[in-house]
Amino acid sequence: MNIIYWLLVSICMMLSQSAVADGNLNTKLIADFRLYPNSNAGTIDSGQSLELNIDAYKDFGATRAVLELVARFDDQDSGRRILDARQAYISSEIGAFEIYVGNRQEFWGKAESKNIVDVVNQQDGAADQGGAGKLGAPSLSVERYTEYGDLQVWYMPEFRELTFNDSNAHPSGQLLIKPARYQRSEGSNADDLAFRFSSVVDEWDLAGSLFYGTARNPILSVVDVGTALEPYYPKQQSLGLEAQYTGDATLLKWESLHGQQDEKSLFAAVAGLEYTLYGLLDQVWDLGMLAEAQHDERPQAAAKRIYVAGLRLTLNDSKDTSLLLLTSQDEDWDQSLISFEASRRINSWSSIELGAKFFDAQTPASAFGALDDDDTISIKLNTFF
Amino acid sequence: MRILFAMLSAGLASFLMISTPVLANKGLEIATEVIKRDQGWGDTSSKMTMILKDKYGQSTQRSLRNKSLEGSTEGDKSLVIFDTPGDVRGTAFLSHTKKTGSDDQWLYLPALKRVKRIASSNKAGPFMGSEFSFEDIASQEIEKYAYKYLSEEKYNGVDCFVVEYDPVDRKSGYSIQKTWIDQSKYIILKTEYYDRKKSLLKTLTFDSYKKYEDKFWRADTFRMINHQTGKETELQYENWVFGTGLSEKDFNKSMLKKIK
Repeated sequence: MNIIYWLLVSICMMLSQSAVADGNLNTKLIADFRLYPNSNAGTIDSGQSLELNIDAYKDFGATRAVLELVARFDDQDSGRRILDARQAYISSEIGAFEIYVGNRQEFWGKAESKNIVDVVNQQDGAADQGGAGKLGAPSLSVERYTEYGDLQVWYMPEFRELTFNDSNAHPSGQLLIKPARYQRSEGSNADDLAFRFSSVVDEWDLAGSLFYGTARNPILSVVDVGTALEPYYPKQQSLGLEAQYTGDATLLKWESLHGQQDEKSLFAAVAGLEYTLYGLLDQVWDLGMLAEAQHDERPQAAAKRIYVAGLRLTLNDSKDTSLLLLTSQDEDWDQSLISFEASRRINSWSSIELGAKFFDAQTPASAFGALDDDDTISIKLNTFF
Repeated sequence: MRILFAMLSAGLASFLMISTPVLANKGLEIATEVIKRDQGWGDTSSKMTMILKDKYGQSTQRSLRNKSLEGSTEGDKSLVIFDTPGDVRGTAFLSHTKKTGSDDQWLYLPALKRVKRIASSNKAGPFMGSEFSFEDIASQEIEKYAYKYLSEEKYNGVDCFVVEYDPVDRKSGYSIQKTWIDQSKYIILKTEYYDRKKSLLKTLTFDSYKKYEDKFWRADTFRMINHQTGKETELQYENWVFGTGLSEKDFNKSMLKKIK
């Protein structure tokens, strides 16, 4: 399969050369500087990376070729180095259907803190970029838009593994990563299937999805006398449900996952509430308040229950300044995470982002306990060409 | 975006609905005529440059593309795609206007490939940090205001009707809007916006109207001055195209992720 996809990538690249002539090519350069103020001995205390994103497309009547390449170089952490075709596909309208072949990036979900129904792509976990850091999903997909809602069918013939940082980089448990094990005998060549139907009914945005395949998130076990982590990818058969109610200033959100994983029953859900105060303090500022509860019975979850509360301040100025403060806390008051993000435009071709993350845990053996030395302060400079 | 059609547009049905019993109101008659004369525009696309000026005269620019579809039973649909500045490139804003109640709005975030339904009650909030609020750029349906005829006045040498538009929605940032309408062409030349305390907040003027398809007037320049902050936003339109073949499907929220 690999050869076919890289062949597709090459075709897309050739096609995109003419995209340059049409002005359908955009480039972004991200310079990322990170400090790890709490790093353990033997791990790096800072890092920097340079990431290039190339985005091009070309239309041929009802057919479109799209290429989105990400190339990241990191000075210390080989886990963060990557060359990936996040998207490299050809799409065509055939009758009432849209058909896509190649690597795609897709988003499913409604919640803010965690998207348990978002099963199409694997995460570029080492990139630590949240929802934007995904690996392209090699796939054949068909979409159909109807007046009742939209249907998607996905066939994914090749599994992509989660990326990990080096053991001396952050975040990591300072353990080596062993080759992955799979529940399905075909390993990374096992086929995955997914369906989704989404619809809008007045104030409600609803969706239901089915997934049959390999779980994106591995179960990690410490092996080799505590020196290494072994990722294990179980089989997952699940139904995903999504709902969002959009009121005047209130959003209600729901995501849940029901089914089986690793031959055991699987249930996870995220419920959220978001309320926005517009025109705060007689300014044009908006303050969004969000609260989400995560319930996740899978062994991959950091805790069975996590509560998230956050504030998002949007200044609505000409520089689009925004700040986001989030705190996560498990139900036993054992593990917590505080994160802060701020972004502001510098000029028409550049912007800056500041970020900070602080993990805390009473129990060193817990998920956040293992991330205790991974507190991060980051500055990102984005340049657009 | 579409104060553009502001007053200039609206569905046939809305006109038919109000044209029956209530014609005693001259303000409503004029506002209805403004909309009636612009009916049948179907679908349009255009390019826009937004120039934001602060009170010190420093300016920044954004470029956007607009696509619009005239509504029949429901309100109009519109799509705005951002081209610059770089950090918002590829972001898209989709709005399905409702004749009554809140509009349906979605935002497309290209880095996440995520389509997000957003609350539309923030009518008074600024659009892209500009002096235009969301309600200024929303498609204007006749049901959204109560009307009062005020007077006849000359504006820039043109004979105008002056009509008061009172927003029906309590979430509007305005108490009233005073509108100067060209008596022969039935196009809006100027609007004054009064805040909730009834003080003059903003003035919008339209310049360089051109006639398209031998029927539809569109202004090239919209200039909004905020009297309370001294800030100013100018919208410069170009490449107006009518009958581009857009359909309902192009304004489906799922199509947002295909936008380039």
